[in-house]
Amino acid sequence: MGAQTSEETRKQIVSLVRDFVKRDVEPIANAYDNEDIYPHELIPIMCELGLFGINIPTEYGGMGLDFTTFAMIFEELSKGWMSVSGIIGTHHILSYIISVYGTEEQKHRILPKMAKGEIRGGLALTESEAGSDAQNISTTAVKDGEEYVINGRKMFISNGDNGNAFALMAKTDPKSDPRHRGISCFIFEKPTDGFKVGRQLDKLGYRGLDTCELIFDDCRVPSDNLIGGEEGRGFGQVMNGLETGRINVAARAVGVAQAALEASVTYSKKRLAFGKPISEHQAIQLKLAEMAAKVHAARLMVYDAARKKDSGERNDLEAAMAKLFASEVCGEVAMEAMRVHGGVGYTKDLPVERYYRDAPLMIIGEGTNEIMKLVIARRLLEKYSD
Amino acid sequence: MSLNIIVCAKQVMDPETPLSAFNVDEAAKRVVPAQGIPPVVNGFCENAVEAALKIKEAAGDATITVISVGNDFVMDVMKKPLSMGADQMILIQDPAAENLDALGTATVLSKAIEKTGEADIIICGQQASDWDNAHVPLGISEMLGVACLSEARSIDLGDGTVTVASSRSDGYEVFEAPLPCLITVNNEIGQPRYPTLRGIMQASRKTPETWTLNDLDLSESDVSPALTLSELFVPASDRECQIIEGEDEADSGRLLALKLREEKII
Repeated sequence: MGAQTSEETRKQIVSLVRDFVKRDVEPIANAYDNEDIYPHELIPIMCELGLFGINIPTEYGGMGLDFTTFAMIFEELSKGWMSVSGIIGTHHILSYIISVYGTEEQKHRILPKMAKGEIRGGLALTESEAGSDAQNISTTAVKDGEEYVINGRKMFISNGDNGNAFALMAKTDPKSDPRHRGISCFIFEKPTDGFKVGRQLDKLGYRGLDTCELIFDDCRVPSDNLIGGEEGRGFGQVMNGLETGRINVAARAVGVAQAALEASVTYSKKRLAFGKPISEHQAIQLKLAEMAAKVHAARLMVYDAARKKDSGERNDLEAAMAKLFASEVCGEVAMEAMRVHGGVGYTKDLPVERYYRDAPLMIIGEGTNEIMKLVIARRLLEKYSD
Repeated sequence: MSLNIIVCAKQVMDPETPLSAFNVDEAAKRVVPAQGIPPVVNGFCENAVEAALKIKEAAGDATITVISVGNDFVMDVMKKPLSMGADQMILIQDPAAENLDALGTATVLSKAIEKTGEADIIICGQQASDWDNAHVPLGISEMLGVACLSEARSIDLGDGTVTVASSRSDGYEVFEAPLPCLITVNNEIGQPRYPTLRGIMQASRKTPETWTLNDLDLSESDVSPALTLSELFVPASDRECQIIEGEDEADSGRLLALKLREEKII
C-alpha cells in the first residue's frame, strides 16, 4: 500500500514475526486449536507490534508496508498457527477498502483506530445463498433520512464476534440491472441496535478464530458510513479488496505448507525404519523433493502477485493464480506430510494433523478455487481477445 | 540531567544453529559460518538493551547508544537494538577486528566509550554465546576505572548512584555504586521486548555511525591477541539410545530416575 519496503526492513519484520510466533503463538497453537479457544492474550501483543496496521497508510497511523511484506507476514504467522493470521486477515480487507475508496472523513475517523487495533475489522459479504455468486446477496440497505436501515443475515464471517467493524455489502437497489450496480458497501460498527451475532460455527480447521452468522434486523447505519459516499459502488470496492485477500490467503497457504514441509524434513531425519532414518529412503526423498518444489513455486507466485499489486499494475490474474496454486499445494503438501509422519501424523500429538485440517480453508475461502479458475479463464480470454 | 547509557552488543552465530550445520575449520582454528543461517544479536546483549530501555523509561531523559565491534556486520541483524528503541548505534568495523580476543575487544570498546564522551551507565550482556568467556565486561570496567556490578537481576537508579541486585547461586546480593559504572546482565533482568513494526521502520531511517580502529587512535598491534588458540575442534560424541520401559508412565519415570542416578547424571 505504501512505497516499496526495503529488503533490510523486510528481513527485520520477518524476523520479528518469526520471534513472536515462536515465543507466543506456537506454545498455545495446538491446545487452543483443539479446544477452539480464541487467543485473546495475543491481541495486546499484536497491537503493540503494529500488526493491525500493516497496509494502512502512514498518514492514517499505519505502517504503510507494501504487499510483498504483507504476504511475508501472513506466511510467517500461518507457519505457527493459521488462525492467528485470520485475526488480521479480513481486518486488512476493510482497511484497504477504506484506504482506497473511503472519504477523507472516513479515513481519518476509522483508519487510525484500525491501525492501533482499537477497531478490529472484518468483511460481511457471504450469505447462505450468496458466496461465489456474490451479486446474489439479499441483505438490503434502505435510505431513511440520514441513515440506512439494514436487514439481512451474513454467514461465515471471520472475526464476527471479536471484531467490531465490518465492510458490509448490502443492496441499496435490489432491482438494479446489472445487479452489481445495486450493491453498496458500508462501514458497520458495533454496537448497533438490531444487530446480533448469531451462531458460532464449529469448523474442521481454522479453529480458535470466531466464524459467525451476523444478524441485521432493522439496524441503522449512518449515511456517513457509506464507503466513498456513493451508492452502487460496493461490489467493485469489495472485489478489489478481495484481491488483497487472495494474496493473504495464498500467503497463508504457503505458510502452512512450509510448516508441513519443515516438520516432514525434521521428522524424517529422526524416524528410523529398516535400520536407518527414513530420510535416507528414496521413497521419502521423492516426497520431500516434490513438496519443497511445490512450496517454492507457490511462494514465488504469491510474491509475484504482491509485487504487481505494489507496482500499481492490474493483478487479478496473478492473485487468482497464486491463490489457486498455493492453496492446492497446501492441501497436497499437508497430506504428504501426514504420509511422511505415518500414524503419529494422524494424532493430535503433532501439528501435522492441524495443517491437514487447516488447508481446505485456503481452497474454499476468499473465493473457491473453482471461482478462481473462472477469474483466470475470463481474464485470459480478455487478455488475448482480438 | 540527561543520562548517557552505553550498551555493548555483539553479533554472534545463531546459537540455535542445528549441529548438522555447525562446522569448524580445524586447520584455520575458525568456526565456519553456517550457510543460510543468519547471525543474531547475542541473547544477553538483547537483555542489556532491555535493561537500558527500562532505565530510560524510569529516568525519563536518557540516550541509549549501542556499540559493537567486528568486521562483517549484517545490518538487518545489528539494527535490532535500534528497532527495540535504542537511540543510536556505533559500529567499529575494521579488518583488524576480525579475530579479536577478549582483551582486544575490551580495549576497542573502552576506547570507543571514551570517545562518545561521558557515559553514566555501561551495560553489557554477561557473556556472549559464541565463546562464553565473560571476560570483556570486566576488561572494560578495568580499563575505564569504573565499578563492575555483575549479573544484575534488577537495576534501580538513584541520585548519582545505581543499586543493583546481583544473582547468586543461593539468592542475590544488593550493591550500590556511584555513576559511572558498568553492569552486566543475563536473562534474569527480564525478557527483551519485541521490536515493533514502527520501531523497525524508524530504525530503517537511521544509519549507524561507523568507526575504524584508526578513529580510536588504535593500531592493529594495540589489539593483537594476548591469547593463542592452540586447538579448535568439535568433540566427538557417541549417541546411544536406550528405551526405558515401565508398567505405566509413573513406573517408567521411576526407572528412568534410577538409571540416571546409576549413571551419576543426577
